[in-house]
Amino acid sequence: MANDVQPLNLHTKSIGVKAILLAFSIFMLLLIVGPLIWLAVHAFAVEWIFPSYLPTGWTLEWFRKVFEVSALVSAIKNSLIISPIVVIVSAVICLPAAYASARYNYWGRRTFLIMMFASNAFPKIGLFATIATLYYFLNLMGTIVGVIIVQVLGTIIFMTWIPAAAFAAVPKSLEEAARDAGASKFRVFRTITLRMAMPGILVAMVMSFIYAFDEAQGTYLVGAPSIYTMPTAMYAIVETYPVQVTAVFSILLTIPSVLLIGLARKHIIGGQLAEGFQIK
Amino acid sequence: MSASVTNQVAKESFGSKDSKLSLLGFFMALPPILVLGIFIGLPIGLAFFLSIGYTGGLNEVISIIGQDIRGREGKLFTLQAYKDVIADPRFAGDLKTTLIVSSVATVFVLIFSIGIGLLQRLRGGKLSSVLTALSLTPLFIPVVISSWALYTFYGSAGLYRTIFQSFGLDIPQITSTMLAVIIGSIWTSLPFAILMVTSGFQSIPNALIEAAQDAGASLITIIRTVMLPLALIPIIIVATFTSIGVLGSFTIPFFLGPNQPTMFGVEITNFFTAYNRPQQSVVMAFIVFAAASGIAISYIWANFRSAKESGRV
Repeated sequence: MANDVQPLNLHTKSIGVKAILLAFSIFMLLLIVGPLIWLAVHAFAVEWIFPSYLPTGWTLEWFRKVFEVSALVSAIKNSLIISPIVVIVSAVICLPAAYASARYNYWGRRTFLIMMFASNAFPKIGLFATIATLYYFLNLMGTIVGVIIVQVLGTIIFMTWIPAAAFAAVPKSLEEAARDAGASKFRVFRTITLRMAMPGILVAMVMSFIYAFDEAQGTYLVGAPSIYTMPTAMYAIVETYPVQVTAVFSILLTIPSVLLIGLARKHIIGGQLAEGFQIK
Repeated sequence: MSASVTNQVAKESFGSKDSKLSLLGFFMALPPILVLGIFIGLPIGLAFFLSIGYTGGLNEVISIIGQDIRGREGKLFTLQAYKDVIADPRFAGDLKTTLIVSSVATVFVLIFSIGIGLLQRLRGGKLSSVLTALSLTPLFIPVVISSWALYTFYGSAGLYRTIFQSFGLDIPQITSTMLAVIIGSIWTSLPFAILMVTSGFQSIPNALIEAAQDAGASLITIIRTVMLPLALIPIIIVATFTSIGVLGSFTIPFFLGPNQPTMFGVEITNFFTAYNRPQQSVVMAFIVFAAASGIAISYIWANFRSAKESGRV
């Protein structure tokens, strides 16, 4: 697992190497965090005139402004309704499969796995275009159900792969001991298997929620112009509203990810995430 | 717990090959596969038939709604829609842009992730932990936000232009160029790459590296002959997944790229929604699929190998 191996501690005394490493770190800091900070600061700016390094003043006014735009409010509502539904639907479809892949041997095991990898091996936007073609026939274009299905497709990987590892990690001997002590099959599953696998299931749910909440490409292709979620609303507002409004909206859109990742942090760093992303 | 021990545990606990086939297991495992079959497999099949001119059956509705649909008109199939797309003056530019952006971004993602992975494995220390944590940040930021943040950062009133302006230099903005799309693609692809590559390097036992050191091998030799080959599967997964991801991206090129030529992701979406020409859109999708097929097969193979090694198959 990721954090258990000690590094070799091959330190160099060369100042040159150290300088290069430091320069590289500063470069990465600027590359990765720079844009985020730059945008976030805009959310509190009265006005920011190029080429000044700082805005003319600070304000919280833009946070109120966002909630005055009805299109944005409805996008927030849509996101808050659709994402939890996606997580529940995905869990219902996938968790039994995750358990099966951890505990049973069945016909088609390999084929199923390869199909799952294969579904992930198509360039996404092409996939969404073909799905939209079918959606016209099923009358799902521009519907909530259509958006939910497109988002569920992307969560299937998380919801089967991560919990499967969690179920597999529950020692069979523990279940057998409980059975010997007279517990019913269902009771063993509920009090031992499910409870021990819960952290993995929760990580999968967090990842699925974040995926659904952030998904933009498929949602835009099948949902717009009738259904906008928070990310797809961004496509529309960047051209019509001041950059401060988009900055505030960006902060609002990032809050759920940061909160959820914060809550699940312990398990995510512990390798469950790497496990899940292996197949992403 | 070392990786090999973990693998051993996993091998014992995943449904083992000698246990008898379970019907219940099969039906429990079926639902996600069915969903993928209905909403990914079936549409790909239908769209392929649409692209070669089959406008009946499940394709009827889209053929009525869409514009410029090329039907097969009595023939078995027609490649007219493909000919239309390829003859379009935009096609060559789009193809070139898509291929250049995808390959350059993939190369840089590999360099960064392998570099940071090696640093963390060999040197350790605070700096490498900070670098790793830093590179994981984009994982938690929606792509739409990162694209927009990059747009404001590299745009006409962004930080770089501000800095140069304070020295009296008026440099052009980076946005609306291929360079910005490449930077954005690297930005979004880095976290997954770092996670994969570092976990690949972590699974190499210290003893193996130290043995090579004792035998007098230089650091470069150890990296080249011991570490890179042993982490080959995760590196292949990173390379293939990154290039497939960039090939199929829409948001990054939409925000950061030039209007013309652009990447196929933007063109496919435009043809579908803005121009209402779904047949051309799926034709382009299949051209992208074809371009990515070799990469996709390597991706599936590498993931299958990796699943096998950890006892999941």
